[in-house]
Amino acid sequence: MIEIEHLTKCYGSFRAVGDVSLSIPNGQVLGLLGPNGAGKTTIIRVMTGYLPPTRGKASVEGFDSVTQSHEVRRRLGYLPESNPLYGEMRVVEYLDFRGRIFGLARAQRKTAVDRVVERCWLKEMRKRQIGRLSKGYKQRVGLAAAMLHQPPVLVLDEPTSGLDPIQIRETRHLIRELAGDHTMVLSSHILPEVEVTCDRIVIIARGGIRADGTVDQLKQKAGDSQHYVLEVKPETGNGSMREAIGKISGVSRVDETSIDGWTRYEITGDATSSDLREPLGRVVSETRVPCRELHRESGSLEQLFVRITSEGEAP
Amino acid sequence: MSQLVAIARREFLSYFSTSVGYVVLALYLLMSGLLFALSVLHTGVEASMRPFFDLSFFLLLFIAPAISMRLISEEMRLGTIESLMTCPISDAQVVVGKWIGAVGFFLAMMAPTLIYPLVLEWYSAPDYGSIFAGYLGLLLIGGLYLSFGTLASSIWPSQILAYLVAVFFWLIFVGLTSWLPRFIGDPWSAILFKMSIELRYSNDFSKGVIDTSTILYFVSGMVFFLVAAVKIVESRRWR
Repeated sequence: MIEIEHLTKCYGSFRAVGDVSLSIPNGQVLGLLGPNGAGKTTIIRVMTGYLPPTRGKASVEGFDSVTQSHEVRRRLGYLPESNPLYGEMRVVEYLDFRGRIFGLARAQRKTAVDRVVERCWLKEMRKRQIGRLSKGYKQRVGLAAAMLHQPPVLVLDEPTSGLDPIQIRETRHLIRELAGDHTMVLSSHILPEVEVTCDRIVIIARGGIRADGTVDQLKQKAGDSQHYVLEVKPETGNGSMREAIGKISGVSRVDETSIDGWTRYEITGDATSSDLREPLGRVVSETRVPCRELHRESGSLEQLFVRITSEGEAP
Repeated sequence: MSQLVAIARREFLSYFSTSVGYVVLALYLLMSGLLFALSVLHTGVEASMRPFFDLSFFLLLFIAPAISMRLISEEMRLGTIESLMTCPISDAQVVVGKWIGAVGFFLAMMAPTLIYPLVLEWYSAPDYGSIFAGYLGLLLIGGLYLSFGTLASSIWPSQILAYLVAVFFWLIFVGLTSWLPRFIGDPWSAILFKMSIELRYSNDFSKGVIDTSTILYFVSGMVFFLVAAVKIVESRRWR
């Protein structure tokens, strides 16, 4: 459980984060989404005890990040944004060093190192010098180091930054795998990443929370009005389809186009109308025309993200 | 405690994985070898390491800052300070652990010079008591130089700047406490002479005298600079 209450962080006169409150229950994978400079890393740094807040507080599993910082750090696995590593060390040496820092006994360290090496696909790289690894492998070493002491909470700041598409896919897969055992906070400015990996998304912009919800909830929030698409075979004398659609209560606009011998109706419902898929389906069955598609277009996360970050929409 | 040892161990080993460590080591051994050959190995003089110890005081003034210049500044440059400071260890453990690692390298660097007393033994019978005191003094001076180097490295993120600041600080300090008092009267000259590392070293350790007040003076200096370094590291979080 992570609790952030009225968190404000200022660097001199610049307010990086202002009055942010957030509660992350156990087992949840939360995505902190926001443009560069939005305040994501600052929130994470306060959460991990690296920076003290100017006002407010953050706690992990009931321990305050300032007054009980060591208890917080013991329960956290943290992968910083730049994934800083000691390039001159070998992979197992570095992981063993991290184990020592976390106070693991020799036998525990060996087991823990073997476990994370296996889990992060680092077996062939065990003896390699970190400085000579590819960026993808370095990222895995960073992840392995964060998971080494089996923390209940994992905080990953831009975990796929700088990786190639295959490495991104592998890292996302690993994050999904880890999600079952950990509470996770994942910071990113890559929309598909949080969409694929997170249970809940918090959009941060200009140092504050601008949206908070599941992927579906946010997508729904993104849609201004209701849009539906219906594709049927051209009518053969059972009355005008367009007319029938137009008579449905709540329909405000119907556009008709022809695609590959099929007629495509793009229907817009008014903002107050309920789900129009059922009456549209009824029209299709009554007119008995072959139908190949009927769906409701939901707003995309990207639309909401762009709107929030560029227009400054309040939550 | 195990965390402190882990930090010190990593720091110590890191000197042997970078070229800087080997360059410093080679440079020191070359210079100290020359000092020994030119100052000690003379026919018809006492078999004493004292001239070597006296000159080592100045040599270390340039060598020790090269050992300490990277301690904190390198962590800041690489960003590894963030992952270190989010582990369950205190800022003091990080700073002191790094300093211990540097002192470990300093000892490793000094170790080959133990062959010099054996060379003297070949020709005559040196006083091992004064040799022990001389080495103890060098260790204390090294520890003191490295503690200020750690402080400089925590303030300046550039290694070169940290090195230059440390060298100039000690040059000015030695000038103020060993040279200036010759030209000013009491009570200031007496106070400044009391603070002189050079005089304390050459009057005590170099001669084979182990004076507890001098040991306390050096240890207090180390503690002072290390506490200051811890405070600087802590203060970075609050800016």
